[in-house]
Amino acid sequence: MSRAACAIALVLSLIPAAAVAERCVEDDAGATVCLDAPAERIVALSPGAAELLFAAGAGDRVVAAVSHADYPPEAEALPRVGSYDRLDMEAILAQRPDLVVGWISGNPTNQLERLDALDVPLYRSEPRDLPDIPATLERLGRLAGTAEEAASAAADFRAELDELAATYADREPVRVFYQIWAEPVMTVNDEQIISASIRVCGGENVFGDLERLTPRLDREAVLAADPEAIVSGGMGEADDSWLDAWRRYESLQAVQAGNLFFVPPSTLQRPTPRVLTGTAELCRKLEQARR
Amino acid sequence: MRRLVPPLAVLAAAAIAALAVAVGIGSVPIPPAALWAVATGGGEPLHQTLVLELRAPRALAALAVGGLLAVAGALMQVLLRNPLADPYVLGLSGGAAVGALAAMLLGLGAALVSGAAFAGALLSTVLVFGLAHGTGSWTPTRLLLTGVVVASGWGALVTFMLAVGPTRQLPGMLYWLMGDLAYARSPWWALAALGVAVAGAVPLGRSLNILARGPLQAAVLGVAVRPLEWGIYVAASLLTAVAVTTAGSIGFVGLVVPHMLRLVLGNDQRLILPAAALAGGALLTLADVLARTLIAPEQLPVGVITAMLGVPLFLYLLHRSRG
Repeated sequence: MSRAACAIALVLSLIPAAAVAERCVEDDAGATVCLDAPAERIVALSPGAAELLFAAGAGDRVVAAVSHADYPPEAEALPRVGSYDRLDMEAILAQRPDLVVGWISGNPTNQLERLDALDVPLYRSEPRDLPDIPATLERLGRLAGTAEEAASAAADFRAELDELAATYADREPVRVFYQIWAEPVMTVNDEQIISASIRVCGGENVFGDLERLTPRLDREAVLAADPEAIVSGGMGEADDSWLDAWRRYESLQAVQAGNLFFVPPSTLQRPTPRVLTGTAELCRKLEQARR
Repeated sequence: MRRLVPPLAVLAAAAIAALAVAVGIGSVPIPPAALWAVATGGGEPLHQTLVLELRAPRALAALAVGGLLAVAGALMQVLLRNPLADPYVLGLSGGAAVGALAAMLLGLGAALVSGAAFAGALLSTVLVFGLAHGTGSWTPTRLLLTGVVVASGWGALVTFMLAVGPTRQLPGMLYWLMGDLAYARSPWWALAALGVAVAGAVPLGRSLNILARGPLQAAVLGVAVRPLEWGIYVAASLLTAVAVTTAGSIGFVGLVVPHMLRLVLGNDQRLILPAAALAGGALLTLADVLARTLIAPEQLPVGVITAMLGVPLFLYLLHRSRG
């Protein structure tokens, strides 16, 4: 049997369940998204959305994504519909999507509103905390008719997250400075999802109380905060050059103790199941800082 | 009047051709037969949506915005008797930008962003008007200076908002500042404003021609200079406000299209103003087609293209006119 036939058989097998269950979910903007049938032509408007859809078992229903949707590897082969901050509306419509997964803070508001006006079913996504990730998986799975796979992925995520939290959250606190950008120096406050990972690992974001989600800092502020560990992403998945700039400040506790850590940015900065990989790595690094 | 007709007919044909190209070309190829089917009220639903919901409104908005900016630029150049004047020289786009970016920072929807831009543009107009009016004598120089300083003030506020804005909103804000027809919603207001402006300005063409030579001569020849100047200022400001509200602050069209037309057609406002409406509209419509398709599915801001198309064309005309 070909893959297409398999897919059709799978869809047919789900129809009785679909007829009973209401295929409605609430999205992160508080709107109710309802579909008559499981979505079969899904367009992902952010790299994170593509990743969440694949994790929810709906990967073979994703027909297009924005540029930089690079995980899992299958997502790289998808047709592109522009970049997340400038969508090609024609290319989206040409895919005849029966579900579009948008990104509230990343996609242009006017373009999402236009999709609404054109009656394209739109799920607006914005996971702000770690528990939002499995919840999103479940909702996307429901819309795509892959609720079972999504539920098991969500359960795995919750179990793994609980385990990490049980191991590390109550350990001796480590004061952490997380750097998301080098010029200007930028960090995150406690509202940002990276801080949730830091908390799970028993860390404490030294700039957590700042008002803005991604505050810009001068170096003095970092010297004054004197973190016990500095963690950074970088321009690429293996580029730890941002950390070198801190080494000359020998007064920093983090420098004295050698607690300058690199965690690949895509594993910690994207609100997708892979965040657990990054979080686990962060936890191990902070544990190293405790010694 | 008869000599006005041929150039306008050529420009009207160019504008219509530009519209046809804009409706026919996009990142999704649609064969001519399918386009014809849509034009005659049939066709596939997908093609109908692409042509009628996306391309046609955007093309008409580009035509209207380009026309508005070119007409507003031509009026400002007459008013200030300064070849460097453009619709934004008196700080109007700055006021609109402050309004729009503030609305974006507050996370408001697209309709409110447009409303805030319009309010900001009007606020800037009233501010410059009031400050330049002040006490004592009024001159275009004083108006220009007031406008330029107010514009700097808006510029500082824009930079401040970009600096404190959330990182994820920066691309949207920058695209708005560069001008982007993806923000265009309904083209009808802009088209109506353009029609009213051209219909209203052409009968005043003779007076504008005299004013362009200087206020003293105009006063001697019986033109009511002060009311005419304020009228031009208010009209040009409103036109620019509508344009900026529709598509962000698109540069270049308002500065250069009137000059290009003067180089080719001479400086008769009765001809220049309607010609600017058509030529500005055609230029921006074509520029937007390129912005949508050059590196599709990635999209460029249209301001990049207007300058890339317009700069060589203008330099060529300027060079030719000297020889």
